[in-house]
Amino acid sequence: MFTYRHDTLSVTRGGLSRRSLLKSLSFGALATGVLSFRDALTLQAEELRRQGRSLIVLWMQGGPSQFETFDPKPKHENGGETKTIQTAIPGVQIAEGWEKMAGVMNEVALIRSMTNKEGNHQRATYQMHTGYVPSGSVKHPGFGSAVAHQIADPENDLPAVVSIGPTQGAGFLGVDFEPFVVNNPGQLPSNVGAPVADTRMNRRLGLLGQLEGEFRERGAEVGVENHRQLYDKASKLVLSPETKAFDFKDEPAEVQARYGDSQFGRGCLLARRLVEHGVSYIEVRSNGWDTHQDNFDTIKRNASQVDPAGAALIADLKERGLLEKTVVLWTGEFGRTPRVNPRGGRDHYPRVFNSWIAGGGIKGGQVIGASTADGTAVDHTPVTVPDLLSSICKAMQVDPTHENISPLGRPMKIVDGGNVVEELFS
Amino acid sequence: MSILKSLTGSLCVLFLFGNVLFAGPTSEEVAREVDALINDALQQANVQPASLANDEDFLRRICLDIAGTIPSPEEATLFGLDPSASKRAAKIDQLLATDGYAAIWASYWKDVIYLRATEQRAAFSRATFERWLKDQFAENRAWDEITHDLLTATGTVSEDGETGLIFAHTGQPQELAAEISRVFLGIQMSCANCHDHPTDQWKREDFHQLAAYLPRVSVRRSDPQDPTSWVVVSLDDQPGRGRGQDFDPARVFQFMDRNRDGQLTKDEARGPIAERFDEVLARVDADKNKMISKKEFEAARPPMDQPGRGSTEYFMPDLNDPSSQGKLTQPVFFLEDVKGPRLPRSATDTQRRNALSDYVTSKSNPWFAKAFVNRIWAEMLGRGFYMPIDDMGPERTAQMEAVLECLADGFAANDYDIKWLFRTIALTNTYQRKMGTADPANPDDVFASATPTRLRSDQIYGAVQDILGGGQSPLGGRFAAGDNRQMAMAMRAGRDPAKVAFGELFGFDPSTPQEDLLGNVPQALFMMNSPQLNNAIAARPGTRLGEILRRYDNNEDALSELYLLVLTRQPTDQELKINEQYISDLGNRSEAFEDIMWSLLNSTEFISKR
Repeated sequence: MFTYRHDTLSVTRGGLSRRSLLKSLSFGALATGVLSFRDALTLQAEELRRQGRSLIVLWMQGGPSQFETFDPKPKHENGGETKTIQTAIPGVQIAEGWEKMAGVMNEVALIRSMTNKEGNHQRATYQMHTGYVPSGSVKHPGFGSAVAHQIADPENDLPAVVSIGPTQGAGFLGVDFEPFVVNNPGQLPSNVGAPVADTRMNRRLGLLGQLEGEFRERGAEVGVENHRQLYDKASKLVLSPETKAFDFKDEPAEVQARYGDSQFGRGCLLARRLVEHGVSYIEVRSNGWDTHQDNFDTIKRNASQVDPAGAALIADLKERGLLEKTVVLWTGEFGRTPRVNPRGGRDHYPRVFNSWIAGGGIKGGQVIGASTADGTAVDHTPVTVPDLLSSICKAMQVDPTHENISPLGRPMKIVDGGNVVEELFS
Repeated sequence: MSILKSLTGSLCVLFLFGNVLFAGPTSEEVAREVDALINDALQQANVQPASLANDEDFLRRICLDIAGTIPSPEEATLFGLDPSASKRAAKIDQLLATDGYAAIWASYWKDVIYLRATEQRAAFSRATFERWLKDQFAENRAWDEITHDLLTATGTVSEDGETGLIFAHTGQPQELAAEISRVFLGIQMSCANCHDHPTDQWKREDFHQLAAYLPRVSVRRSDPQDPTSWVVVSLDDQPGRGRGQDFDPARVFQFMDRNRDGQLTKDEARGPIAERFDEVLARVDADKNKMISKKEFEAARPPMDQPGRGSTEYFMPDLNDPSSQGKLTQPVFFLEDVKGPRLPRSATDTQRRNALSDYVTSKSNPWFAKAFVNRIWAEMLGRGFYMPIDDMGPERTAQMEAVLECLADGFAANDYDIKWLFRTIALTNTYQRKMGTADPANPDDVFASATPTRLRSDQIYGAVQDILGGGQSPLGGRFAAGDNRQMAMAMRAGRDPAKVAFGELFGFDPSTPQEDLLGNVPQALFMMNSPQLNNAIAARPGTRLGEILRRYDNNEDALSELYLLVLTRQPTDQELKINEQYISDLGNRSEAFEDIMWSLLNSTEFISKR
């Protein structure tokens, strides 16, 4: 946005250097002006950036009960009072309260055999968000940032990673993949709107660019250059017409109604709009799943928001032809105890829980794995956190064994171990 | 008689003086030696060191480094006019005596410890930790004493700040071992948790023998109803009582079953059992009478002697069989040449942690002084001898190792006197040089000139307050209301909620190398667009800018004053030209000056130390 904005293309972080690009292109085309540098770059970027795939994670913070969501046990006392409903998949029932989701199950692969060892919120949340268990001395990049790092289009005005509610940071992957946190979906996020007219903002940025000269010449060349890239990115966002994606003014009322008048519903609608604008990773968070007491009523309340929003998201993506290149994951950090406690609650239970995935070429209308009749263990086809994340990588066409190098020089795979759950794709 | 008295007096003075000399070299001596070593090295590499920074640059630099503030325009003017040859040394001493010194460095170490916390609930204890540390720095307690307190702490987390490090990792031996070694010795051993270190000499045994100093640290809530009632205790506080005894059925029923009916009710239960009564009941109450019988309790008793679960000994996990007990491991310090106590088998927690503290802080352990010196030097000069600053150790190579050794030896000989170290570094010509165009990646150029560095969140916050404030917090209001729960917590703990919110936005782990500190988009958006900042730079009565424009009709004078306020320097001729052109092009003085002030606050220079 400074005077020299147009010949700066922040692509080096995406792994493409200007020099290697020039080497790989015919110099003649550039010299004769057939292809501007910018056009050439866009071409190359498109090849590398896999045509705008996106990942949406619907995050149920607290650990949703599998019994009151997608793995009810009506015939066992552990199932509690929860009743079941029929879904679009013949013979497959889920818990009542999820009627809208039941209708879109043809698009969904339901995993009832998730299993893990971490029963502490922070540790399990960290693990599900990074593919690694926490360790004080290394901050692992968030999985969403790591995926975006592989597929994001560096030319996009909008941030590559957006989270509606807090999430895991990008760690050493840096600024370009740091989640942009939105607290009030449906309106422009704070400080994105300029307090002055665009013309004045441009004037200010121009003056700033001129005044940076002194410090640069005194020996802060590197700092000034980094700062300029950051301000380019920020001002690109501020002045971009693309920010209209955040503002629902142009979204028909009936579409908004379909997602539901709730924070989570608006979050899901924003997720769809951001997918349309090329954002690579979007997380939408739903709070309040830590049901140590009053499990049944609490989940009914939560489901009344998450059920319509999740189903609307899948259907809307499908109708717009976006589901093929968008993966939607619904999960929390763990499941809940089969035994109902004396306060009508269920406690933490990582041994068995459930998640679902839709889109991105995953075969919907199927259930993968099962829990035992009493829900205390995985009956068959256990799926671990690394298995799940590796499978998502496959659906995103990202190599889960790709190694990023930590600042201490330690190679770190996107996902630590795990096998792709092949059933998801067959 | 009087002669004798005065003689004794002089002898005393002599003796004291001799003692001071004996105690360690002075800051001035070591600063001279450091400069000589660095100049020699630069000369050999045929590099010309930069000249000393001017008073403006020195003053802004030293104020930010030692007290976390920027100088006021008045202070800058007076300092420039002061003809005294020793004014820089005097300024260093003056700043070291301020409240700001203790505050900014307490906040720094709070970030070092807490931004790596593996226990997220630890956040509530940050304020207590920071307050405790501030008192230590204000009293200038020695670094080995502070370290000893942090490693051996017991007490109530919400009151005794020295429990902060232990609590940040919930007393977990492996996490603590990794952090203690990283923070106090600059040695990264956590790789050796799971496998022998790939590039270093550390074996798995080394790491787990270090963790074996810590299995008897216990972190628990003293009142199960109160989520902030955490305490750090030693399991040997009550002799003969191990962690497992909490769940010894005979003892539990002897103490808790007051009506002796052989059944434990919720009212009778105490301590950790009361805390988890419903949970335990749900699991074991076979006859569903809402009480726990001795037999039911026995059935639910956790298995003894598993790492972290009811054991007072340390077991190194068996990687081939993670669910097994692992190998009983005794504490041994991993650096062979370091002298320290030998522990008896089954040593108590106090013995173990005191022994660990002795090894870590021992004068026979050079890494203790080196790690602190490397960190503070890097913070003040923009890069350390070892980089990253917390990845040192016998297998790494330092740049200008001799300089680090000279400083570390002086620091140790002065009994780890922290202010001595700050004073020494600040007195060197190396610290006081001006910025140069030296290539920081070129090892030959290192320390030939000052390196601009990015300010920490507290420093930026302090600077913004100083510039816009006049005492009032211009960043309060809606900004501070970002996360209500967190802000309420900050208020209760006596912290400035706007500063906490600012820290959330601008904070970073202070162990991060400078080249990785790139800022982020929300930070830029805040500086560019936040209503608070934009209101505070409006050219209207009551703001600093409004005041400047009222007092100076002449644009050049107003620009001088504005630059002095924001950047602690005069504008260059070129900058005057650019700005005056901007003012005349725009034809609206107030609006033009708002834009200029906006540009200065959004400049690289403003968020940098130069």
